[in-house]
Amino acid sequence: MRFQGALDIAAPRERVWQFVTDPLAVSVCAPDVQSVDVIDPKQFKIVVRAGVGPIRATFNLDVVFSELTAPERASVRARGQAPGSAVEMLSTMDLVEHGPERTTLRWASDVTVTGTIAQVGARLMQGTADKITQQVFTCIKSKLEAPAATGG
Amino acid sequence: MGAELGGIGRSVKRKEDARFIRGRGKYVDDVKLPGMVYLDIARSPYAHAKILKIDTSKALAIPGVLAVITGNDLVPLKLAWMPTLMGDQQMVLPTDTVMYQSQEVAAVVATERYIAADGAAAIEVEYEPLPVIVDPKKALLPDAFVLRPDRKEKSNRIWHWETGDKAGTDEVFRKADVTVKEDIYIPRIHVSSIETCGIVASFDKVEGQLTVWMTTQAPHAIRTVIALVAGHLGLAEHKIRVISPDIGGGFGGKVPVYPGYVLAIGASVLTGLPVKWVEDRSENIQADSFARDYHITAEVAAKKDGTVEALRVKTIADHGAFDAAANPSKFPAGLFHIITGSYPFKKAFVEVDGAYTNKPPGGIAYRCSFRVTEAAFTIERLMDVLAIKLKRDPAELRLQNFIQPAAFPYRSALGWEYDSGDYGKALKLAMEKIDYAGLRKEQLEKRKRGELMGIGISSFTEIVGAGPSKHFDILGIKMFDSCEIRVHPTGKAIVRLGVKSQGQGHETTFGQIVAEELGIPVADITVEEGDTDTAPYGLGTYASRSTPVAGAATAVAARKIREKGRLIAAHLLEASPDDVEWKDHKYQVKGVPAKSKTMQEVAFAAYTNHPQGMEAGLEAVDYYDPPNLTYPFGSYICVVDLDRGTGEVHVRRFVAVDDCGVVINPMIVEGQVHGGLTMGLAPALYEQINYDDDGNIQGGNFMDYLLPTAMEVPSWETARTVTPSPHHPIGAKGIGESATVGAPAAIANAVVDALAHLGVTHIDIPITPWKVQAILKAKGVAE
Repeated sequence: MRFQGALDIAAPRERVWQFVTDPLAVSVCAPDVQSVDVIDPKQFKIVVRAGVGPIRATFNLDVVFSELTAPERASVRARGQAPGSAVEMLSTMDLVEHGPERTTLRWASDVTVTGTIAQVGARLMQGTADKITQQVFTCIKSKLEAPAATGG
Repeated sequence: MGAELGGIGRSVKRKEDARFIRGRGKYVDDVKLPGMVYLDIARSPYAHAKILKIDTSKALAIPGVLAVITGNDLVPLKLAWMPTLMGDQQMVLPTDTVMYQSQEVAAVVATERYIAADGAAAIEVEYEPLPVIVDPKKALLPDAFVLRPDRKEKSNRIWHWETGDKAGTDEVFRKADVTVKEDIYIPRIHVSSIETCGIVASFDKVEGQLTVWMTTQAPHAIRTVIALVAGHLGLAEHKIRVISPDIGGGFGGKVPVYPGYVLAIGASVLTGLPVKWVEDRSENIQADSFARDYHITAEVAAKKDGTVEALRVKTIADHGAFDAAANPSKFPAGLFHIITGSYPFKKAFVEVDGAYTNKPPGGIAYRCSFRVTEAAFTIERLMDVLAIKLKRDPAELRLQNFIQPAAFPYRSALGWEYDSGDYGKALKLAMEKIDYAGLRKEQLEKRKRGELMGIGISSFTEIVGAGPSKHFDILGIKMFDSCEIRVHPTGKAIVRLGVKSQGQGHETTFGQIVAEELGIPVADITVEEGDTDTAPYGLGTYASRSTPVAGAATAVAARKIREKGRLIAAHLLEASPDDVEWKDHKYQVKGVPAKSKTMQEVAFAAYTNHPQGMEAGLEAVDYYDPPNLTYPFGSYICVVDLDRGTGEVHVRRFVAVDDCGVVINPMIVEGQVHGGLTMGLAPALYEQINYDDDGNIQGGNFMDYLLPTAMEVPSWETARTVTPSPHHPIGAKGIGESATVGAPAAIANAVVDALAHLGVTHIDIPITPWKVQAILKAKGVAE
């Protein structure tokens, strides 16, 4: 499944960059996070609960920033498993500056889900993934635009 | 005494039903042994991936988990791989790569079933995904990723198999007046027996004795396989006892050896504890052997007048990750070359390529004698395609072409010798029963009103009863079968066979053969199967072989007893043996009916007053090597109405005329036909296991895999003709699979017939409402 979109954020590009490449900061916006474990600036482990329809599972995800070209472009690979299911996600983010206080975040994500969740929830998956993605980016936008936002 | 005797032709009530309907059947999962432990299996979420690491520590930390087994543990035991019946090998547990979703990755042994499941969920495996191939056509492309690097051949082509006269067939096609061609996909389906697979393995370390209770259709073959595959671990065939208790449906799915069986046996041999493994429903559908999955391109050449001349077939067989089909060794595509069907093609050529994909292994004969369903569906579909092209009535076209009764024994273009048949009689009876002429009139009127109604015919010929030792073996073991009969002093008897009932009613029908042959009432006969310590060696029940092979052995063994009984009777009657004959189920002095002895009197004398010089006792055994296969046939006619709004297919009527030769028990035959028709309706309209591009199973549970229930099944109408098999001792041919084989084409033909006037010639099964609605919309007739 491929998802993509763009988001206008009323914040300077540098600040957006800091936020989306900081595991602890961006994790706040991921759904149902159980824990975040930063290994080094490019690698972290995150435990999330996710599900489709009636099937919910705890996923252990290994996340790696495979490309970091500050402050323009970042690529992330996340791979993880829950019992009977596995997920693999390759995402890219491009930040385009529109003046000192405006940034466009263009993102694209290729998601492969296998196992029980894909079997049982196939028909519901697209909708669920859309919903989760919306939540994540709405959260990122609101955090960055909040007057007292500190970036984390 | 006919009714009490319960001989051949009587609808004797099934003796086994007394325990089944009271819930007193004894299945593998009913076996409970002291100290028994449980095995569960962790399975792969990926369809193709490298295994980087397996971490078992969390599973082992769960109280009650006794052991975790991984592929690497099996390597020193030489059990990580096991041979398949088709000369391939398959993984018991992987050491470095998983090949399909839900493949076994590790096993957990625990004190409780639920703890074992928790243990399986706690095993952490790190995978690196690999490219997935689900389409066998892509698998066969020259640059395709090679899925099986363990093989010498660096290709996803497992084998190429062909038969027939290629040049001769091509020649006829070049010169033919008319040719038709159709691409037909027969999708992957699953037998979905009500009972899933399971085993209890119990190894006695002191005696070195292994006892297994197992859901197997072929217990003797399994015993030999265990001895051959695990002989190096000290398991010898005389110390292995395989018991196949009551089985809740097999349909071919309980012929193969699954990794779970091997793991349970291995766990018991290592621990000395009894180990139980029973699959859950999803495991059964997702990982056990599938059926069908044939991509067929078929062509018929005919004369202008409709006379068929040649048949050309090219097929790709998707076997999944390992070729674990269960065919006789010589036949990688089973008996697919019965595809000339009921018609006297002069020339034919068939070729099949087996392909590996990232799907579960298999290619089993789901209630059909080795790819016969695929063959029957294709030829019966093609006959309708030809009828459409020639604007001929499909019944008329069949009647014109059938192999005629006088032509039997008939040698087909692909080399089979059909034993007997009268195809026209069966079709005419079906047409009369359903009022074919009346239906065609009704259809015409309905078409004028825009209503969509179709009539479909399938006049199939089956090939069952494998098989003659000259051509048929499994792992080198010839496909004979056996029966041993012992008559007790009081005239009762025990009959033991090398086959194994999974619900077919053997305890009744084989008793009826003995009753008929020996004059012992069926109520006085015990039929026992499935225990390798007591039953004579046989190859088991599948491919409708029980009656053609073991049933023949039963009749022959009984006749051996009858012959010895004649000598005893002569002794009792003080007559010359030549003057004693078997008549009206007893021994009589020829021409003096008053001077007679019953089998019961003879049996008593066999132990109390046998002639001097003769061995005491009255028993016999026969290992029957059939001289030929048997060829049951039938004609089915189906009437459907299509809903122009929803696209739903409603089966209004279905008449099935079957000919399985001499019928032993009409009631059981009727039941077999009803079940088979339902299992033929299923793939025609409902069932399919599909895969997405990542190899995710779509249809791996009963939420997504639609089995027909009483809600979907029409009221079947059945009838019979009787054309005995000339070579079978009692003339029987076998009925277990005819309806599964014959029904799908009748239904598909009916749906296509309803749409033929709109230019439709073929729809791949299952014909779902979605597919029909798409056609209705495309043709502008949707409501």
